[in-house]
Amino acid sequence: MAGACTKLDETKYLYDTVDADGFYQTDAELSSAVGAAYSNLSGIASNNHYLTINEVTTDEIVVPTRGPDWGDGGRWVRLTTHTYTSTDPDPANGWNFCYSGINTCNRLIATLSKYTNPKIPQYVAELRGLRAIYYLWLLDWYGNVPISIDFSQTTPPSNSTRDQVYALVESELTAVAPLLPHTGPATESTYGRVNAYTCWAALAKLYLNAQVWTGTAQWDKCIAACDSVINSGQYTLTPNYADNFSKENKGVPETIFTIPYDHVHEQGNNICMMTLNGLNQNTYNMNAQPWNGFASVQEFYNSYIDPVQNPGPQGMVVGTDPAGDSVTGTLDKRLSNFLVGPQYGSDGKQLQDGGYEKSGGGYVGDPNGAPITFTPYINELQPTAWRQSGARISKWGFYSGMTQNQDNDFALFRYADILLTAAEATARKNNNWSDPYALTIVNQIRTVHGGVDPYATMTAATFLAERGREMFFEGWRRQDMIRFGVFNNAWRFHPADPSDALGPHGINHLNVMPLPDVQLNANKALKQNPGY
Amino acid sequence: MHLLSRMLKSMPVCLYALALFYGAGVSAQESLKVSGKVADNNAAPLAGVTVLIKGTKTATVTGPDGGFSITAPSASAVLVFSYVGYQIQEVALGGQTSFDIRLAPLNANMNEVVVVGYGTQKKREITSAITRVDAEQFNKGNISDVSQLLQGKVAGLSIAKPGGDPNAGFTIRLRGLSTLGANTSPLIVIDGQIGADINSVDPNDIASMDVLKDGSSAAIYGTRGSAGVIIITTKSGGRGGPQVAYNANVTAEKAARFTKHMTPDEFRALLKTTGAGTDYGANTDWDKAITRTGITQDHNLSLSGGNQHTSYNVSINYRKGEGIAITTGYNQVNGRLNLTHKALNDRLVFNVQTSLTHRNSTLGFANAFEYATIYNPTAPIHVPVGSINDIAGGGWFEFSATDYSNPVALLMQNTANMETKRQNIAGSAEYEIIKGLKALVRYAQQTINLDSNKYSPINAYANRGFDPNNDNGFSRHGLAFLGNGESFNQLYENTLSYQHTFNDFDLGAVAGYSYQDFRNTGSSILAGNFVTDAAAGNISAALDIPYGLATVKSFKNASKLVAFFGRVNVNYKNMAFLAASLRREGSTVFGPNNKWGNFPAVSGGVDFSHIFDLPSINSLKLRASYGQTGSLPPYAYLSLPTLTVSGSYYAGNDQYGNTYAPNQNPNPNLRWEKKAETDIGLDFSVFGNRLTGTIDYFRRTTSNLIFNATVPVPPNLVSTTWENIGTMTSNGFEFLINYDVLRGRGLNWTTSVNFSRAHVVLTKLDPSLAGSYVGASNLGSPGQEATQITRAMQGQPIGLFYQAVYRGVDQNGKYLFDDGKGNAVADNNNYKTVIGNGLPKFEMGWSNTFRYSKWDLNVFLRGAFGHDLINTYRAFYENPTVASVYNVVKTKYYNPKVNDAQLFSSLFVEKATFVKLDNATIGYTFALKKDGAPAGGFRNLRAYVTGYNLFVITGYTGADPEVRYADQSTFPPNILAPGIDRRENWVLTRSFTLGVNLGF
Repeated sequence: MAGACTKLDETKYLYDTVDADGFYQTDAELSSAVGAAYSNLSGIASNNHYLTINEVTTDEIVVPTRGPDWGDGGRWVRLTTHTYTSTDPDPANGWNFCYSGINTCNRLIATLSKYTNPKIPQYVAELRGLRAIYYLWLLDWYGNVPISIDFSQTTPPSNSTRDQVYALVESELTAVAPLLPHTGPATESTYGRVNAYTCWAALAKLYLNAQVWTGTAQWDKCIAACDSVINSGQYTLTPNYADNFSKENKGVPETIFTIPYDHVHEQGNNICMMTLNGLNQNTYNMNAQPWNGFASVQEFYNSYIDPVQNPGPQGMVVGTDPAGDSVTGTLDKRLSNFLVGPQYGSDGKQLQDGGYEKSGGGYVGDPNGAPITFTPYINELQPTAWRQSGARISKWGFYSGMTQNQDNDFALFRYADILLTAAEATARKNNNWSDPYALTIVNQIRTVHGGVDPYATMTAATFLAERGREMFFEGWRRQDMIRFGVFNNAWRFHPADPSDALGPHGINHLNVMPLPDVQLNANKALKQNPGY
Repeated sequence: MHLLSRMLKSMPVCLYALALFYGAGVSAQESLKVSGKVADNNAAPLAGVTVLIKGTKTATVTGPDGGFSITAPSASAVLVFSYVGYQIQEVALGGQTSFDIRLAPLNANMNEVVVVGYGTQKKREITSAITRVDAEQFNKGNISDVSQLLQGKVAGLSIAKPGGDPNAGFTIRLRGLSTLGANTSPLIVIDGQIGADINSVDPNDIASMDVLKDGSSAAIYGTRGSAGVIIITTKSGGRGGPQVAYNANVTAEKAARFTKHMTPDEFRALLKTTGAGTDYGANTDWDKAITRTGITQDHNLSLSGGNQHTSYNVSINYRKGEGIAITTGYNQVNGRLNLTHKALNDRLVFNVQTSLTHRNSTLGFANAFEYATIYNPTAPIHVPVGSINDIAGGGWFEFSATDYSNPVALLMQNTANMETKRQNIAGSAEYEIIKGLKALVRYAQQTINLDSNKYSPINAYANRGFDPNNDNGFSRHGLAFLGNGESFNQLYENTLSYQHTFNDFDLGAVAGYSYQDFRNTGSSILAGNFVTDAAAGNISAALDIPYGLATVKSFKNASKLVAFFGRVNVNYKNMAFLAASLRREGSTVFGPNNKWGNFPAVSGGVDFSHIFDLPSINSLKLRASYGQTGSLPPYAYLSLPTLTVSGSYYAGNDQYGNTYAPNQNPNPNLRWEKKAETDIGLDFSVFGNRLTGTIDYFRRTTSNLIFNATVPVPPNLVSTTWENIGTMTSNGFEFLINYDVLRGRGLNWTTSVNFSRAHVVLTKLDPSLAGSYVGASNLGSPGQEATQITRAMQGQPIGLFYQAVYRGVDQNGKYLFDDGKGNAVADNNNYKTVIGNGLPKFEMGWSNTFRYSKWDLNVFLRGAFGHDLINTYRAFYENPTVASVYNVVKTKYYNPKVNDAQLFSSLFVEKATFVKLDNATIGYTFALKKDGAPAGGFRNLRAYVTGYNLFVITGYTGADPEVRYADQSTFPPNILAPGIDRRENWVLTRSFTLGVNLGF
């Protein structure tokens, strides 16, 4: 502190952060640095981007405005009615999520190449694979996004075309897949990491949607990518469907690439909070009060219990009338995806909500009154959906002592999905939805996972419905509906979209999301998608 | 020993005893009787002037004719004449026994000394815009914060605190927004300690405050002077025997205005037409239930005195306050010692100043005011234990909805305490090497400790009010928070100053070196799951800790500043004045090539009254100044590529590891923000100093504005970067006029008006941001997080509201908006434009002081004109459809036809011009017995009553029309988003204070 002090080097005063220039030396530091590329994924199983863009825009999920709850400035209603705008939070969140992951990969690829450590080549391959998966999502959501793969480039980039982004994803995944470990779900060192099969699964998804994204179908490439996974011998169908999603689902035989959630270490699986009623806190002895938002819609729920759509063993199930009375319906084992009917506290007493909606002034109140009963029926999208309405998403099994961060791992690529992808590509290639290979796969899944009757024949609609039952809320419904050409049709709470051909390769402009206004404001080189 | 034991029992009694003891010693000498008359400059007699024998408690007051008579202890005694609003005058008897005294009013005193950076100057020599406020001009009454003393007193200085939270701070702005950097509030200098906390001094201990308004006066403080400087001088001891002063007051405070909402009957009637809501059958006035009349008391005891070598001023202050919200308040003890000692024939002067402040605050929860406004008015406060609405089991009515909880239960069940300790230690030594040349060395340090503890018990269903993440005692089975932080800085300075007169030139010069370092540390833990609430005091009893569910945080950061500076002043025959200064300053917080900045200033003035013989003009000084100041970013390390723990990753075998990732986009090019300011001013005093005033015009350009700008991702790592984003220009005008309307015998009346206007424009944005907007702020939760309501744009004034324009409702009750072509449409997303501005066009203060005999009355009105406010209560809840859960806000704008979700528009922007009767004080100074004999031992005695905020005239429908200079809902506050009346504010209060000032 003497008078001669004029030295102002700030690194001498660094205490609670570390100087990047001294990092990346030890194995632990390298591993920790690369881990950052994965920790970004922890936001997936929440209500921010992945599940809102991929699910709330579809016929599977709705987030009704329940009086003053979940109005959120019309955000959820606009997702359901396809009136989303560039100032909405979901396009902005999705963009930030993907590019934040991409930036981390770019930064690490550039940084690691400056050091010599035998682990670095595999880290770099892994990071390239993960980066390609972020671009796969950007390609799906926005189409014409800027390509940024060089960390040293600091000028704000302009848009690339959807075809260019497609080509990047294809070449990167193809290049790195052979360099990565060929390990299965039981291998601890690659659990929750990008391995060879992750890349092939991602390629399968890329090729499956190639016709929509580039105008050119790639069924053979899709089947080949699926075969790389299917023929590896690393994966089998989990005998009990619900085990794929349970609290203890680590290493289940269908997991290709997953987010290893943990209520202490890897927080972010908030599905219980998004969907359960506040008073369900008492059901599961939770340490947080759920938000009573996300729910499924009666027609989608009905696709499980309707014996015509889904033939199988019959029994008593919760019906789709306003009171949720019991009816006879198909007992698909995958009904574990939904929480419906009366709700109980941990003391066995039915939960009571004194604030249930009463009738008055032309408004029809909740027939169930204070005792809480979840009904697949939802009275209206807005402004006053009943607090108890909507089938809740219990696919990632709830458990007593649950915190707001569930332990259940969330698979981004799952074996059953790759099987269905192979079935669809084959059916489409052969122009026959009752193609024997496709039928075999679908019936295997129906029998093992659903415990329901096999199909003798299929149509595009029955195939999509089966995909829906199996893959509910796993983040694929939006691209599935687009690929099957039904995304712009009318369904409950969603009027048919006005038709146009403003999107890439002449698709409806609503089938890509708007680029976020915040980015357009900050980067003048960016152009908005046509139609927005 | 007798004295000591009494001292231990009772401080005031002991000091009184000391005074008596000392007084007895003096009266042993030979005494003589003196008399005379006191008048003002115009020979008008002054009644009620205190005449004191210096160093004694012997005093008297002048009669209606200004006459006095007093017994002096010896021929060498000194008389001290004092009168509110006039300079104190000391006269040595020198053998004389009859006196004719003229007292000069304070504001006419051009020889008065003004404190400037690193020195003092005579007021007549000042060539920049500096306003001095003496203790007796301070606001009186219920003072919880030092800045309150100046509220409305200085043209251009805006001080505001919406609502009456006694534990909340004030926002201070000088001449509008001048910087986007770290300090938008003026730099505080207390007795030479730079960057001191304004509340490390007790209001009672302040002798004066000098406000350095323009760039040239602040430039000597370089880096932190961009928002102006307030120099606080504390009271010091004089020569003579100990003088004891005891001041005390007691205040009663009540809520003055609430946000208007439906009564239980109105709410019931509404439910009949809309359905969905619930009538619980009770009639609850939630506003009344959470408030009370808060009683605050304030005691100050000071002891001062000294001899020819040593002088001292010691004081102790105690304040205990109750907030109007039940369960809230504070108590504060402050002690101060100022000591001066002169040695080596007065050539060596030592100064020591120490101050200790200890405050315990019970903060309560500001959300209680929000919930009181919107809680169902038919719901009871309590319900039987175990009934449906006893959700948490404590017998309080609760209901599950977003941002909603029983406000009485919130305040009664949960606790939030803050303990603040401020410690200031300063010492200096000055040596006069040769006549006029002095060397000074100063060391000062400040430590502020904050300890926070909060607890939400097991059966407390506190919604968002307790914790922003919605966590509460019910969810977490008891939830405790424990946090502590320390901010420390130390200052070391050497200066060399020189004073000399060459022929007709008075020369003053100062040069120096300054070093200051800063360190902030802290840690906190949030943990729940207690077996019993009784264990809450021991956070290690929380089961969340072994389960890994506790949240632990810590931080430590540091920075330093180094500066060289100098200034020269020249005075030519009191006619012309010139000053120039330069500070070169370096800071660790910038990139390697941008650490140093130069901050020059120059100013000059001419007093025409000393050049020409101007009739009726006592002084007329024209001055002009130019100065540059700088601003630091609010955080350190912004230029460095730093990594921090960002999350975790799965490392195999059920192990997880920490990930390290960048926490920011490093900006190695970050440089000083610089403000250049030109000020032209006129100081005048005319008609026998009866009319005095100051007029200033200023123009400022702040370049390299430091702001956390939104940047594109990619190529950036994160979506914001601290950058130098552009240039802001402002110009303004301010004046202060004092006029003695009535002078002389009988009634005296002085009126004083101040006016200020500052117009701030964001003139230029960096090319990378061209065409963009910055500083957007959102309406907020629930659900309007993406509704941007403010922004700053190139070429536009600061403070814009930007959104859809309201055009009414259609037949179905759906909102309609302007489409930009004059049509009313349902889409509020299509056309948005400027719909208001949160900053006032001008602000005014008007003070009137009346004196009659021993009575004095001061009435002070303050107003802000032309600003708008976004009424967020209305934006969320003035809609019949919210009645399914919430009570409905009901102002004159309420429209029962609305049947739509709340969509933001100009409907919720209101004009908020106001005039407040801020402060009215009536006082009485008791006559002491003639002849100087002590009246009950008192040297002086005054009693007063103050009313604070007696009325407000405004068209604004919210609780408080006060200007919101920044949006406090984010941290750091968004200074580009003024004018948002957020819901988490206390309501406006009104208070009455009864006080006494006693001297022994």
